[in-house]
Amino acid sequence: MSLKNKVHVGASNDGEPAHAQQFASPAAPPSQLTLSVESPGMIEELQELWRFRELLLTMVHRELRVRYKNSFLGILWSFVSPLVTTVVMWLVFSVFMNNGIHNYSAYYLAAFLPFAFLQQSTLDASQSVLSALPIVKKVYFPRELLPLSVVISNFIHLLLGFVVLFAYLLVVYIRFPGSFPIQPTVIYLPLLLIITLTFATGMALLSCALNTFYEDVKYLVTVGMYLMLFCCPIMYFVEMVANSKINREPYFWVYKLYNLNPFAALCIAFRKTILAPTPVLGRDGIRYAAIPLDWNYVLAAGLISVATLVLGYSTFNRLKWRFVERP
Amino acid sequence: MSQEIAVQVVGLKKDFILSNQAIGSLKTLLVWWKRRSVKKIQVLKDISFEIKKGECVAVMGRNGAGKSTLLSLLARVYRPTAGSVKVTGRVAPLLELGAGFHPDLTGAENVYYNAVILGLTRKQVKERFDKIVAFSELGDHIWAPVRSYSSGMIARLGFSVAIHVDADVLIVDEVLSVGDFEFAEKCLNHIREFKARGGTILLVSHHAESVRAFADRAIWIQHGEIRMIGTPDEVIPAYREMSESDLGKGQ
Repeated sequence: MSLKNKVHVGASNDGEPAHAQQFASPAAPPSQLTLSVESPGMIEELQELWRFRELLLTMVHRELRVRYKNSFLGILWSFVSPLVTTVVMWLVFSVFMNNGIHNYSAYYLAAFLPFAFLQQSTLDASQSVLSALPIVKKVYFPRELLPLSVVISNFIHLLLGFVVLFAYLLVVYIRFPGSFPIQPTVIYLPLLLIITLTFATGMALLSCALNTFYEDVKYLVTVGMYLMLFCCPIMYFVEMVANSKINREPYFWVYKLYNLNPFAALCIAFRKTILAPTPVLGRDGIRYAAIPLDWNYVLAAGLISVATLVLGYSTFNRLKWRFVERP
Repeated sequence: MSQEIAVQVVGLKKDFILSNQAIGSLKTLLVWWKRRSVKKIQVLKDISFEIKKGECVAVMGRNGAGKSTLLSLLARVYRPTAGSVKVTGRVAPLLELGAGFHPDLTGAENVYYNAVILGLTRKQVKERFDKIVAFSELGDHIWAPVRSYSSGMIARLGFSVAIHVDADVLIVDEVLSVGDFEFAEKCLNHIREFKARGGTILLVSHHAESVRAFADRAIWIQHGEIRMIGTPDEVIPAYREMSESDLGKGQ
């Protein structure tokens, strides 16, 4: 009813002075755009990106809308997946395998959520330019907005996942009051999230730029991420790596190498900053003492993340003008 | 009309890599590494012209002459191989209308998305939303997903968004045949008004009549080079003569 009214009013105004006013209004300052052969530097590229921040927000919003567009539960699906994971992990690890760790699901989620974010945003980003190719071929906007919006919308899902984790921990605490399950070191969580976001953005830009030319990249990423899941302490504990047979004196290089992998280092850091250290049941029924978090490896992961971002962004900027010319 | 320059094109060149084996897998990359003799085609060779603010310029030429490449370069989709393109103000390309619509989102959501891509803020879109919908004549359909639209409806909505974004330069590529006759007439009127207000228009058309009706000048492009620049009355007869003689040769 009201809409029809609006349409009618609009139609009667159409093409009359209202329009003239619209064009005269200084809605946008006249910008001068020069396009030449020289590539702009990274600072100019970042300024250009900032000019389009409004579009980035709109794209993130759209990304979130599209994902659950045709589903009944909508955004609730973001909560469902970690919830179901919690239940299944409890069943598998605490009941079937009986690994002796109290509320294993929390340990699983704390490491799995950031990993799943890295995995999903890299995979989604790799397709982002290709799926938007019709509009990329018609209109100018900084192409990096496409992978960036994918990363940001996945990051929002990561935050929702952590909400589920903390809610679960509170429920456990209320049902079995004892020691509070959340560590005070949880204040470092924002720092870890920033490192993870940096790493994810770098990976997303890199995989997007390469996959737009060579679609093999997304299969490589899929397989690589699947294998990476097992190279991270998600379904087991890093203490098992430290005490494994091949991690020998004098250098313990297996353990060191394992920790230099930013995926693994981040999983370890999330788990150890949020949750209480827990002894792990190892080979021959020996209990391994929990190893405290080594911040040097977090620092290394941070440096690798920044390097990945710089590499990803410069690769993307070097290739982005050729996306449309892709034969 | 002021004499400011809206579009300045200097020594513009554009090459494309011609590849019969699509680059699309790592294998082709490796093969390509071995023999780097890549075939290039020069689509535009050294094009220079200026368009003053408020002018309407028609670009004419046969298929494959490089018209679309030129317009895409002005819309900043491609980067030139050599030379430069300078555009003052916002460009709204009316090329393949509605190409950027997402089928699963409603028309309204797509209006927001597309208008922001063309440079409006979300606040501005909100203010203009009713006008955009009214112009498109979609009515209640605007709340339905775009996948349920007919091609005419998509084109109408695409056109409506593109003309409501306060562009300074409109790039029109044979899209004046949007929807039915009445709507096409409405679009033409709008383009006339846009021009009367001092907007700059770049028009690609094969229709001698619409070129005569709109354009102040015509640029004839042949084989990636400017063959002739002048008033429509100078260029059209020469262009016609040329294509007729070509046809004669063909037979």
